[in-house]
Amino acid sequence: MNPGPGRRLIPAYLVTGGRSAPSGPALDRLAVLIRTDTDLPTGTGAEQRRLCELLAPGALTVVECAAHLDLPAGATVFLATDLVASGHLRARPPIPRAGEIDRSLVERLLVGLRSLH
Amino acid sequence: MLPWIVTLAAVAVSVWYGVRAYQAGRDAYAASARAELADRQARAAEARTLALTEEIRQLARKRIPAAATALSHRSAPVPGLREAGDVEGDAARLLSDAVQAARTAILEERGRVDAAARSAMRGTSAQIQSLLNQSQHLLHELQHEYDDPRILQLDFRNELALRRTQATAVLCDAWPGLARQNSPLVEIVLGAQSRVGGYERIRVANHLRQERLALVARAAEPLAIALAELMANATAYSHPDTEVPVTVQQTAGRGALVLVDDAGIGMDDDALKRARALLSGPSEVLLTELGDPPQTGFAVVGRLVARYGFTCHIEPSPYGGMRAMLRVPAHLLTVMDDDRTLSVLAPSPVHARPPGRDGGTAGGEARGDGTARSDDGHTPAGGDGDRDRGSDVRRAGPDVRRAASDVRRAGGATGGDAAGGAAGTAGPGRPAAPADPAPAAPAATTGFSGPAPAPALPSRRRRARLTAAPEAAGPARTGEEAEEAVLRTPERAGASWTALQRGTLDGRSATTPPASSTDDQGDDET
Repeated sequence: MNPGPGRRLIPAYLVTGGRSAPSGPALDRLAVLIRTDTDLPTGTGAEQRRLCELLAPGALTVVECAAHLDLPAGATVFLATDLVASGHLRARPPIPRAGEIDRSLVERLLVGLRSLH
Repeated sequence: MLPWIVTLAAVAVSVWYGVRAYQAGRDAYAASARAELADRQARAAEARTLALTEEIRQLARKRIPAAATALSHRSAPVPGLREAGDVEGDAARLLSDAVQAARTAILEERGRVDAAARSAMRGTSAQIQSLLNQSQHLLHELQHEYDDPRILQLDFRNELALRRTQATAVLCDAWPGLARQNSPLVEIVLGAQSRVGGYERIRVANHLRQERLALVARAAEPLAIALAELMANATAYSHPDTEVPVTVQQTAGRGALVLVDDAGIGMDDDALKRARALLSGPSEVLLTELGDPPQTGFAVVGRLVARYGFTCHIEPSPYGGMRAMLRVPAHLLTVMDDDRTLSVLAPSPVHARPPGRDGGTAGGEARGDGTARSDDGHTPAGGDGDRDRGSDVRRAGPDVRRAASDVRRAGGATGGDAAGGAAGTAGPGRPAAPADPAPAAPAATTGFSGPAPAPALPSRRRRARLTAAPEAAGPARTGEEAEEAVLRTPERAGASWTALQRGTLDGRSATTPPASSTDDQGDDET
């Protein structure tokens, strides 16, 4: 067990502000964040400001923002949830992976629709 | 003749006897006087012995114990001789010497015991510190793999334990336990903040003239430890609803000053005097003097003050509680190189903020230091928007970067048309009124696959800010058609496909009711 490259100076949990869970609906790490046109209030923290600046040119996912901000995705979720709650960001759930549709389900749906007539 | 002789003899005899009797009387008197003297001397000696015995009893039962108590409780009274007149100077001095000798012996023994305790704690805390550092490293790795917020909490608990252990080690004359590089002062303050329970109440205000002001490597971690102790005091002794303002500023004499205020209960005069004595950096602090449980905060700061040359002062605060001021002398300060980026969490300097910064501006048109500061989080302080853009893209990957530069070159070739405007001004801000609103069409969606002129693979990249209203799609199309022959860029392809999609959506929504019914029928028929 090697100790790694020194002790980091600023830990990621600082952005949580002492909360144990994000205050709001949980965001997936692939959720897409979109900046709205609202102005940030003057008391906004530096990290929230940076996140908004990052999103100003266009949408990014949570995990991409995390990489840009050099934070873990779990900590970025806290930031994003706050900004979504205050209306400065919009969050869109990730696009689900396209999967095979269960054939039997479609068949049952078809049978049901036919039986309606 | 004979009677004369007889008479003479008788006179002589009587004189002789008279003299004898006188002598005998005188001897008797002298003897009695001597006896009386001896008696008095004996009584005096007895009284002296008694007094001396009493003094020795006083020495054994009161003075030495009191002197020993006074070593740990400075205000405890030390009784002197019982009755100073009864014992002569020599004995009194010797008795005082005995007290002094006892004091010295106790002090030496106390120092020895304390040193033994310190070395034992030093060894233990060094081991615990190393273990906690390792677990911190593991937690750091876990945070990047899993999104569970409990890992963050665990990291915080680990950090708290690490601070206590490190403070104990420093108190026991140990090395801070790790070496850092030169570190920005603001980051050190934030690092100290993160080590304190109740860190969410601490508000750091950055008033530095030079944002990249940093501490030299050897003083970085000691300053973080000292500040963490001061902040821990401030949060521990103030109400949980109050904030703890921390101000970082530069002093006139090229030093730096960190103020930690609290709106807490304050300190009484004795405690303040004691705290100032500890903060002045005494040469030795004994563990036994710190109370039970030991109040280590100021003592730790005092140790670091003595060893690294900081200055710390504490006084009543205008916020109601106490204000701790820690001054870092100029010889411990330096300025970070430009290639070291500051943490995103580092608060920006509060003065001289560019006026338009609130809306996330500072775009392509290089607004002096405004742009540089807004990008410090992820780029070197770039000159203009294009460079910022380039370094942003650099993170995303080489392909994207090449695409971006291609686009930029194309923009230059066509003389500042829409695509050039999009790429050139797509810094972290809104483009300043692009000549053509085409690239600003709703670009929030991901993915595109237009055939780009560059051989680069199609890849994800950030686009112009979402500013154009949806009705701008019409002019977008005309602008698109006019320049179709010149170039096809990802933005333009995306815009045209968006316009197409919007058109088809509009068409469908215009004829929704019949379409849905026919759909139903179609389904039924199949």
